[in-house]
Amino acid sequence: MCPEIVDEAAQVWFGPQHVSAHGWATKLTIVGDYIVECDPNAGYFHRSAEKCLEFRNFQQGALIMERLCMLEAFLAEYPYVKAVEQIAQLDVPERARVMRTIMMEASRIHSLQFWWGQFGAELGLFAMTLWPWVDREYFLDAFEELTGSRHAVSYSAPGGVKYDFNEKSIKMLERALDRLEDRLPKFRDMILRSPTFKLRTKKIGLFDAAQGLKWGLSGPNIKACGIPMDLRKDDPDPNLAYEMCDWEVPVTTNEDHPGQCDAYDRMSQRFKEIETSASIIRQLLPQVPEGPIIDPKARAKANRLPEGEAYGRVEGTRGVTTLFLKTADKAQTPYRAKIRGPCFASYYSLKHLVPGSTFADFVVIFGSLDPYPGWWDR
Amino acid sequence: MSEPDIYLTTVSPSAVAQAVRSKCPDVTQKSMQGNRLELIVPPSRIRDVVGLLNELISDALPESVFGIDLQNDRYELIYVFWSHLNRMLCQLRVSLEGTVPEVDSVCDIFPGLEWHERETHEMFGIGFKGHPDLRLLLLPEELSGKYPLRKRFKTDRSRLSETGLPEARPGSKEAET
Repeated sequence: MCPEIVDEAAQVWFGPQHVSAHGWATKLTIVGDYIVECDPNAGYFHRSAEKCLEFRNFQQGALIMERLCMLEAFLAEYPYVKAVEQIAQLDVPERARVMRTIMMEASRIHSLQFWWGQFGAELGLFAMTLWPWVDREYFLDAFEELTGSRHAVSYSAPGGVKYDFNEKSIKMLERALDRLEDRLPKFRDMILRSPTFKLRTKKIGLFDAAQGLKWGLSGPNIKACGIPMDLRKDDPDPNLAYEMCDWEVPVTTNEDHPGQCDAYDRMSQRFKEIETSASIIRQLLPQVPEGPIIDPKARAKANRLPEGEAYGRVEGTRGVTTLFLKTADKAQTPYRAKIRGPCFASYYSLKHLVPGSTFADFVVIFGSLDPYPGWWDR
Repeated sequence: MSEPDIYLTTVSPSAVAQAVRSKCPDVTQKSMQGNRLELIVPPSRIRDVVGLLNELISDALPESVFGIDLQNDRYELIYVFWSHLNRMLCQLRVSLEGTVPEVDSVCDIFPGLEWHERETHEMFGIGFKGHPDLRLLLLPEELSGKYPLRKRFKTDRSRLSETGLPEARPGSKEAET
């Protein structure tokens, strides 16, 4: 920066009190209306989850994981469960595999509904906030019926799942899907065709796929650039049931800027994600086989694990979510657990993505990456 | 629409291993299970190997860098890269020793690793030479230099006197650490 600009520059803390900052703070250096420097500050939400995991046994660990991101609790706990299953070499009954997959996709829909409501609020379109949040309640009701809890669901356990589907929970899940499928197309047209929304999001926060990958972005943020990068297809998991249904990785390609994505593309990509997840659930629901939901010896086997290392991965709502687990011989707790949250990269990328844009667009760029502080602070 | 540039070249895990080992003969290959490649890299070679991965794998996603405390002043660093195009997971392992372990930073090659290195520095006390910004990322100021993810960090007793709670029961999990 040349000295004249520095003289004019003002430093503004965006958050933690700002409504759209949701309790975390980013230091912005501003000249006039333009942001010249962005310094994201993590740590406001740090609860030392990795150290906590070292003091919890292999049944309890998943409970800490789901509390990192309550919006996608079914997905957040899975990398831990998967890593334990790998080290203990547990077999998962087929019924549990399908049920897990269904609930993970329902969780993805729920998380995305929460996100686009919140994104509306950040743009100042407050009515848009409440539309999906009403629909989201129906999913929460279904979660409550199945697991007894609306957010901290604690569903997957090493070797299977904890709660069996019953008639009522399936009916509630179908009711939530019916409502979603009825209302989502209307909302999508209403938002994506709205001139106000287009003005606010087109050409805002533009980056290309190669750049995004270098920053560590994944999930919908990369798929919006037209690259079908999705762990559900790329790294098929034998303990899940994605191969039992017919689906394609949704991608968004924009004719105006191929290989790149802006906030508008990321929004339309996430609508496609919701549709894909709904179609996966619709296909899997009639295919749930009869049988046990958990390997009866799983609990004993996961009590003490042999020495080993495992890397559990799942395609979360926001991108690649992984957990590295290292155990000592006959250990009851992990020796080391490392969580990789997808938003660690999206929050970091603001440092490169934001400078040059106007102050008013900061919320749009930030919001369109689907940030969740639990994933970067852990 | 034309395909994005990063979509042009594919490379197999064995070809990557071969290219790395011909450039850096002191790198050893641990195992190869399916699409997972694991290389053991001497600390002095990490920049060469990561630079080579960047050239060979056009769509490398830097997943993470993290430390493991192996106790008695021995540490292990693991670098994880994923390639969607090649369906390849590449893990690099670096062993470090000493009271002030140090390794070259690779965040100019993969900017996404900048914060991972910063976190590893504050949690394990591993230095990254050439890193532009090693301030604390997640920890509060009073934990600066305490390196809480090291095994010798006392989790529950370290600040117990401030809370006024009694000492941990002898033989309990907390007392052992």
